Amino acid sequence: MPNKNGSVYGLTILSPIIDDDKATPSHDLQIRDYLAKLSTREDSPFAVAPGTHLARLVVLDDVIYVGMPACEEHLRSKYLIFESNCDGDLDGYLHGLADTIGDHLDAIWKHCVGYPGASNRQAFIDYMKACQLDTTFYFAAVNDKSVEETLRALQTQTAVADFIATHQGADPATLQREFIQFAAQLRARPIPRPGSMGPLRDIKTGGHNE
Amino acid sequence: MSNINGKVYAMNAITPMKPWKTWIVRGILFLLGHFKSLRQDVVNLSFIEFARWVVLPRRGFPFLGNGQVKENLQYDYLLFFSNFNGTWNQYIDAFSAVLSKGLNLIWRWSEKFPGSVPVTLFKQYIALLQFDTDYYYSAYPHATANDIESAHIVQSSFDQLASIAEQSSPQQFADAYLRFVLQVQCHIGATGDAPVAG
Repeated sequence: MPNKNGSVYGLTILSPIIDDDKATPSHDLQIRDYLAKLSTREDSPFAVAPGTHLARLVVLDDVIYVGMPACEEHLRSKYLIFESNCDGDLDGYLHGLADTIGDHLDAIWKHCVGYPGASNRQAFIDYMKACQLDTTFYFAAVNDKSVEETLRALQTQTAVADFIATHQGADPATLQREFIQFAAQLRARPIPRPGSMGPLRDIKTGGHNE
Repeated sequence: MSNINGKVYAMNAITPMKPWKTWIVRGILFLLGHFKSLRQDVVNLSFIEFARWVVLPRRGFPFLGNGQVKENLQYDYLLFFSNFNGTWNQYIDAFSAVLSKGLNLIWRWSEKFPGSVPVTLFKQYIALLQFDTDYYYSAYPHATANDIESAHIVQSSFDQLASIAEQSSPQQFADAYLRFVLQVQCHIGATGDAPVAG
């Protein structure tokens, strides 16, 4: 199935945003305003909810006119795109989102047409599936590891580099004893929290061709 | 708005296609998905963490009633989402240099696609079709695709060594440790701050 690659699921959701002349500011602007203030680090909703490798939220204002001789056309709604690369199956992932970050989901999707709220689990899942687009081709560089496995591996990679650097030339008995101790400590160490190792950037940048 | 989180860049692009051409694109992407050899260049580029193409038929936009006006479009649309490491210019340059045939095969069915070579027109086209990301999250923003792949190699080798560490004699362990270092020596670079694009 194109939505899956190995154990990773490529979720694409396109939710029509409410078009209301009386809303001030407009619903799309309210979504953007909320997203602009949302953390992208360990307190991000997607770090709190289980199973998200990478995810993005994008307001699609309109389709793009590429110039003559193509026809110019426009969308009648703006859409909220949710693109996520996540572990496991879709139902489990959506349940996890609704269980852990329902308030955030409601704050974002309440501006979308027909959104039932995360508290009504079945209606929420039905809504998300009604807005889902099937992926035609999905590529994942690493497609058989969970978020936790990847975070643990990255932690191990750094620790192993330090261990190797500090144990050059050690005699076999010392090397073995200290490696056993190191391996036990590393196994006991908590997995880094998702998003916790990112850069601290107060100013968010990243335009088209940065 | 931010298309960047740590070492990852989120690209979104949308291109219009005449509906009859959509089926050709679907066929090409089907082959790409089913024959590993066809996507070897993408794997070899090794700076794409996740990417997807989504064919969105003109009548396939979600319609939920509740006052939403149904779309009335002439074109089908091809959506492209990529999560890559490095700068936008490096990405497009690499795409153009390494994957030009594959990209032409997929995007030539989109209206006014100029071809991926020469790169100047290709960049103009992508810049026109790209739309910005409002919110971008990564569970491991400090790591590149290569870092992640390497980390899993280190983890696997480390687990093997740890599993025999206690049963071996010191000399047996030292020999196994040396083999371990040789296995992982190309995969233990540190994941520091992302370089500043400029």
